[in-house]
Amino acid sequence: MAALDRCLNVYDLRAAAKRRLPKGVFDFVDRATEDHIAVANNRAAFERIKLRHRALVDVSGRSVATTLFGKPAGLPMAIAPTGAAGLCWHEGELELAKAAAKAKIPLTLSTASMTSMEKIAKAAGPDVGGRLWFQLYVWKRRELSHQLVERAHRNGFEALIVTVDSPVSANREYNTHNGFGLPFSPTLRFSLDIMRHPAWATGVLMKYFTSIGFPRHENYPEEFRTSVLSGVGARDALRADSLDWNDIAKFRDICPGTLMLKGVNRPDDAVKALGYGIDGIVVSNHGGRNMDSSAAPLDVLPEIAEAVGDRATVILDSGVRRGSDIVKALALGAKAVLTGRATLYGTAVGGEAGALKAINLLKNEADKTMAYTGCRTVDEISPDIFFGQREGNRLRGRVMDSV
Amino acid sequence: MTALDRCLNVYDLRAAAKRRLPKAVFEFVDRGSEDGIAVANNRNAFERIKLRHRALVDVSGRSTATTLFGKPAGLPMAIAPTGSAGLCWHEGELELAKAAAKAKIPFTLATGAMTSMEKIAEQAGPGVGGRLWFQLYVWNRREMSYQLIERANRAGFEALIVTVDTIVPPNREYNTHNGFLMPFQPNVRFTLDIMRHPVWFTNVLMKYFTTIGMPRNENYPDQYRRMKRDDPSTTEMTRQDSLCWDDIRIFREKWPGILMIKGINRPDDAVKAIEYGVDGVIVSNHGGRNMDSVVASIDALPEVAEAVGERLTVILDSGVRRGSDIAKALALGAKAVLTGRATLYGTAVGGEAGAFKAINLIRNELDKTMAYTGCRSVDEVTTDIFFGGRQGNRLRDMVMDTV
Repeated sequence: MAALDRCLNVYDLRAAAKRRLPKGVFDFVDRATEDHIAVANNRAAFERIKLRHRALVDVSGRSVATTLFGKPAGLPMAIAPTGAAGLCWHEGELELAKAAAKAKIPLTLSTASMTSMEKIAKAAGPDVGGRLWFQLYVWKRRELSHQLVERAHRNGFEALIVTVDSPVSANREYNTHNGFGLPFSPTLRFSLDIMRHPAWATGVLMKYFTSIGFPRHENYPEEFRTSVLSGVGARDALRADSLDWNDIAKFRDICPGTLMLKGVNRPDDAVKALGYGIDGIVVSNHGGRNMDSSAAPLDVLPEIAEAVGDRATVILDSGVRRGSDIVKALALGAKAVLTGRATLYGTAVGGEAGALKAINLLKNEADKTMAYTGCRTVDEISPDIFFGQREGNRLRGRVMDSV
Repeated sequence: MTALDRCLNVYDLRAAAKRRLPKAVFEFVDRGSEDGIAVANNRNAFERIKLRHRALVDVSGRSTATTLFGKPAGLPMAIAPTGSAGLCWHEGELELAKAAAKAKIPFTLATGAMTSMEKIAEQAGPGVGGRLWFQLYVWNRREMSYQLIERANRAGFEALIVTVDTIVPPNREYNTHNGFLMPFQPNVRFTLDIMRHPVWFTNVLMKYFTTIGMPRNENYPDQYRRMKRDDPSTTEMTRQDSLCWDDIRIFREKWPGILMIKGINRPDDAVKAIEYGVDGVIVSNHGGRNMDSVVASIDALPEVAEAVGERLTVILDSGVRRGSDIAKALALGAKAVLTGRATLYGTAVGGEAGAFKAINLIRNELDKTMAYTGCRSVDEVTTDIFFGGRQGNRLRDMVMDTV
């Protein structure tokens, strides 16, 4: 029985990933920032919401399938942009992308990924039934980002996600303590860490060394396309703290596809985004990885969904570990969720098979939650399934009341 | 890499200080009173407040600089009065004062300090760009306190802080258990504790013994220093339970500079302070070190700030460990915060460099919090950054709502 077979939920995958990965890599994926208040609160926010069984609805024909931006999706979920899949598994982003294509959900490739968008497009793009989104960190030199957007469009990426919650890098102190800081310089601590994980050293690191050398940020502009562990210059230029709405107007001009903003936490920002022709809003606190004081996205979701209405697609990110979380997010106004860590754990344990397992576990849990609450389609999921007040769309007050 | 280099936040500094200091000294700095409830609640109160990311504000020109009592400060923070910096490091108060001058923030010297105010003024006073405040415990023999403030005025201290929350000695039972009694008396327990910390013994205690002998309260009147611990006249002289508003009137007459009261917890007291011509109130529960049932300072702050409005400067003390705490205090109406333990931990690990590191870590965290919440200057930090009701100035209710 493979390690993957013994994993029956995302937490099992997390535990297996923890055994498999060097501590420096696992912590990078798993931990968040500063005192880990935000990441814990993201989970607590989901767990505070209580649902009611609905009796005696024939749910035998139920389906978790949905439509996202006019196209079908296997379940109301997409893969969030993350930079570390390629350290979880050899060419992990490709594995994750193939799994997403198989599950018929969109995959978001990160600016910081280690696999080129061309390679992803070829192996997991529209030709093989995949839906690809591209996430953008905006460089200080804007034309570099504009070039990247064009490159993504040429490669068949249907959507662009501009991350707007990262004007500055976060205080991820554990990375430095683990010897996993940037710019990377070899430390005894990290070397010993790797040596304690020979399977990872062989199956991931050595495969890179014997083929391409150290993994690089393959989607950075040529001049920055250095090893993932060296690019401090690029880092400085990345995540521009001067990013503002004028940039969004420009991206709208040059991006012919779906355009989303990721990291919106305020109704006023969401409404403003509509004025800029934005198609989708990802309510996210970056998995609790940026501002440790940030509110849980699930808690801020209802008022944003209410403010936006049907004028844009609202997506919830941060903290999804169970299928019931998807149902709760949908009831509060999201059309879908993103998963970051959940599917990375799966990738770390079994590559494509592991990622697909993570997706299917979540899908199965969402399916059961729908059955218990008497929902036959995702459109039937509403605050009616909640324990607590249900009137109108005053969702936020209700969620807080149920705390 | 030194111990100091490995410290990436105030908690790291605390852990390093714990290793370095004798248990009795560390606990005197670190612990609160009785059951440690107030000190824990001070932290919880900060952590309950949730902020929102603000999208797409150009924050590239942001600054943490502010103005305190009409003069510039590098960040909205000052060093709180503490009596034990000189036990954390040889001449620790001087080190801490120099760090504060370098960071362009005010330094408060405590009545119970081990370095004379003249020495502090000479090396870290206005002559070298430092801003000095003097904290006063008012004793039964008022004339001694009057002498002290005259001396502080002559030495160039710009502000006087009268502590009003310590009218009786608190129950710090651990000090007795640790054999850490003031005035100091030799005992086996503390001696063994010291012997387990030879580095501290050599670099701190021996340096005193070989120069000035046993460190003394250099700002106390001569009579006091000659007294014995259990001498009834000592107890009588240092009693503070007769302190009342009439004393504040006299201090206002005698003190030509900025006058603050430290330990205000009630709006009515704050409003009364205005009538007595006080320039600033410090909302403080003495770092949770006095009354263990006390409300968290950050919870008491909003109604105090609302009551006094612009009529005097409100400063928040107690519990600040992260830069985000400063942003929360400013949003709730404070103009600045004081740090006691946070900068003492730094002093214990690296003297001036350690204290400076603590200040800069907190500054950096504040800077990031401002960037995430879209604030370009400290004046832009308002309750608008909070998750929760934001209407009007009913701040306290709002904070409680987010709990």
